[in-house]
Amino acid sequence: MLASLHAVEIRTTDGTIALHNLEAHIEGLEQQAARGTQSSQAGAALVDLIMLRAQILGRIADYERAQMLAERQVDRAPADALALLARARTRGSLHRFVEALADLEAAERLGLQGRELDVETAAVLQGMGRYEEAWSLRKAGEERYGDFESLAALASIHADLGKIGDAEPLFDECCRRYRGVSPFPIAQLEFQRGHMWLAGADRDRARDWFHAAWRRLPSYAQAECHLAEVEFKLGKRDDAIARLRRLAADADDPDYAAQLARMLAETGRPDEAKTWRAHAESRYHELVLRHPAAFADHAAGFWLSAGNDPPRALRLAEINLGVRDTPRARALLERARRRVQETRS
Amino acid sequence: MSDHGAGPRSIANPEIDITDVFTFPSPERPGNLVIIMNVCPFREIEATRLLFSDALDYRIRVRPARIAASGPKAAFAVDEQERFFSFTFDVPEQEGSRLLQTGTCRSSLGDVAVRVGDESGAQAHGVRVFCGCRFDPFFVDQQFSGAMRASRKIPKVTAVNSLEGQNVLGLVVEVDHARLFGAEAGPMVAVVAETATNGSFRARLDRVGRPEIKNFIMMDKAADPVNRDLDVRDLYSEEDGFKLRPDYLGAYRARLNGSMTVYDSLDGKTDWPLDDKGNHPLTEMLLADFQVVDMSKPFDENGYLEIERAMLRGDTHKTCGGRWVNHDIVDSLLTILINNGKGPRISDGVDRNTAPAPLTFPYLSKPNPMPPKLAPFVGIPT
Repeated sequence: MLASLHAVEIRTTDGTIALHNLEAHIEGLEQQAARGTQSSQAGAALVDLIMLRAQILGRIADYERAQMLAERQVDRAPADALALLARARTRGSLHRFVEALADLEAAERLGLQGRELDVETAAVLQGMGRYEEAWSLRKAGEERYGDFESLAALASIHADLGKIGDAEPLFDECCRRYRGVSPFPIAQLEFQRGHMWLAGADRDRARDWFHAAWRRLPSYAQAECHLAEVEFKLGKRDDAIARLRRLAADADDPDYAAQLARMLAETGRPDEAKTWRAHAESRYHELVLRHPAAFADHAAGFWLSAGNDPPRALRLAEINLGVRDTPRARALLERARRRVQETRS
Repeated sequence: MSDHGAGPRSIANPEIDITDVFTFPSPERPGNLVIIMNVCPFREIEATRLLFSDALDYRIRVRPARIAASGPKAAFAVDEQERFFSFTFDVPEQEGSRLLQTGTCRSSLGDVAVRVGDESGAQAHGVRVFCGCRFDPFFVDQQFSGAMRASRKIPKVTAVNSLEGQNVLGLVVEVDHARLFGAEAGPMVAVVAETATNGSFRARLDRVGRPEIKNFIMMDKAADPVNRDLDVRDLYSEEDGFKLRPDYLGAYRARLNGSMTVYDSLDGKTDWPLDDKGNHPLTEMLLADFQVVDMSKPFDENGYLEIERAMLRGDTHKTCGGRWVNHDIVDSLLTILINNGKGPRISDGVDRNTAPAPLTFPYLSKPNPMPPKLAPFVGIPT
C-alpha cells in the first residue's frame, strides 16, 4: 500500500449502512413522487439521490429514472429554477452538455445564482473539455470556499488534463479538509485518483486507489470494474475475471460484460467470451440509440477491442469528440483511425 | 428538530446532525436522570429503516454544576470532573429480511450492549439505554418562526406543525443520579450532547446544549453588527460546550446580542435593556450552552430555562429546570426573547404534536411508519 494512502486515511460510515440509508431515503421520496405531492425541493433532492445511486451502483436505469423525473418536474414547473438545475444535472450525466448549459442559463435568468450554479456550470464545461472556463469557476470556488468540495473539483480538472503533479497535493489537501463521515464523496475521490493514475500509466497506484474506493464502498461497481481492469494488467487475471463475472451478471451497464469478454478472450476462453461479447454488443447497440452522446465513448472502446468493428468505433469516436473535446476523446479518435487504417492495409 | 440543519456541515451530513437534546428527572423513577439525544433529521424519509453510523461517536457529557452568581451577572460554575455516555455502533448484519445493528454505550459506570430498535432497551451497571427510530417530538410552525425573522414582525398564527409525523433516531440514557458523581455531589448537573468522528482523528462535528440557540438566534446574520456574511454556527458546533475558546467568543457574542435585540424589539418595547457595552442580559447565560437540571426537584414539564431566569432575577428557582420532551420551547423561548414574560405569551399556535411522548421509558413515542410530506418551507431550518 502506498504511503499517500495512509496519509489520508479517513474513517467513514460503513458502505452497507450508507447505501441502506440512501436506498431508504430514495424510497421515501419516491413514494411522495408517486402520490404527486412532492415539493420542488424534495423533487430535486430525489433526482440528486438517484443520480448518486446511479454513480455508485453503475445503474443505467437510475440515470434514466433521474432524467425522467427531472423532465417531468420541468414540464410541471417550467419557471422553477431548482427543477431546471436538477434537469441540467441529469442531462450533464448523459453528456447532453449543450442542453444542460441551456438549462443552467435559464435557471440563472430565473434568479438562481451562487455556488450551486457555478459548480454545475463548471462540471458541464469540464465535461465538454472547455477546461479554461471550468478552471476559472473552479478556482474562484476554491478561493472563496476552500473546502473539500471546492478543492476536489479543482483537483479533478488537473486530473482530467493529466497534470498529476498539480492534482495530487490538491487531492491530499481536500481529504484533510473533509469534515463528514459519508463514504460517498471520499470513495468518489479515490476513484478519480485511481482513474488519473491509470491514465498516467502507473498501474500500482491506480490499483491502490481503486481498491481503496471499493473497500470503502463495496457496492461501488465502477471502482470494482476498474480495479479488475488493473488487476488483470498486473497479472491477477483470475481475480479480475471473478470480479467482472459478478458485476456483469447483475448489471444493465454493458461495460462489465465488454471488459469480461476481452479478458476471457485474452485468457483463452473464447466460448464464454463470445457469450459476453454478444451480450455487450446488443446492449451497447440499444444504449447508443437511446443515449448516443453518453455511450459513444465506451461503445467505441468496445468495438475497438472485444467488439472488433473499427469502422463502427470510428463513427462513435467522432460523435464522442463532437460532444466533448477532451484529451481522452482525442486519443480515442486517434486510436480508432489507426485501427481503421490497419484494417484497410 | 430544534437544532436540525444548524449550519452548513449538518445540512450536508444529516447523519451527524443532532436535532434535539432533552434532560429531566425521570417521572417514572425519582432520583434517576434521563438524557435524550435525537439525531438524523431525514425529513421526508421512512426513518424506521435508518441505521446509526459506525463512524461516529454519539456522546453525552455530564458535569456537576452549581449556581456561582445570581443577578445581572448570573452564571453557573461547572466542575471539571465529567461523566460521559458514548454510543458507538457496529456494521449491521443481515437477519432474515432486515439488517440488525448492535452497538455499545460506554460510560465510567460500565459498558452496556445495545440493539438498535429494541423497544425495552438494555440495562447494566445502573444504566438503562435505548437507541432506535422514534417519532420526532419537536413541534413548531416554521412559517411563523421563519416569517418572524424575515419580516421583523410578529406574524399571524397559522398553527400548522411543520414537522408533524416525522421520525428521528433517538438515543436515551437513564441513570441513577447518585451513582454519577457520588452521594455527596450537589443536585445540579450540566449536559451537552455531541457527535464526533470515531477514528484515530477525532473531531467534534455537532454539539447541542439548549434548543434553538443555533437556529432561532444564531442563524440571523442580518441582525449581527459585526459579521453579516458569516455563518458562525459550524464554528460554534465545534466548540467544547463547557468551555468556549476565546478566539471566536466575540463573534458569538455579537451574533447573540444582535439577534436577541431584534427579538426584543418585535413588540415595540424594550424588555431586555442592553448594558453599557451593548450586551444583552441573556447573552452570557446562553453562551454557557448546556442544559442544567436540578435533581433535588421533582419532575416538572415546564422547567425549561426556569433556573436561568430565576438566577437573572436574583431569585431561587422552583423547578428542576432541564427540558422535558413535550415542553413547548418555541412558545417559551419566543415569549422570553420578545417580552421577558412581561407580556402576552407569544405562540406559534402549535402547542403539541399528535403523539406526545410518554412518561415512561424511553420517553419517546414509537416511530411513524411512513412520515408524511412536508410543506416546501420546511427546508429552511427553524
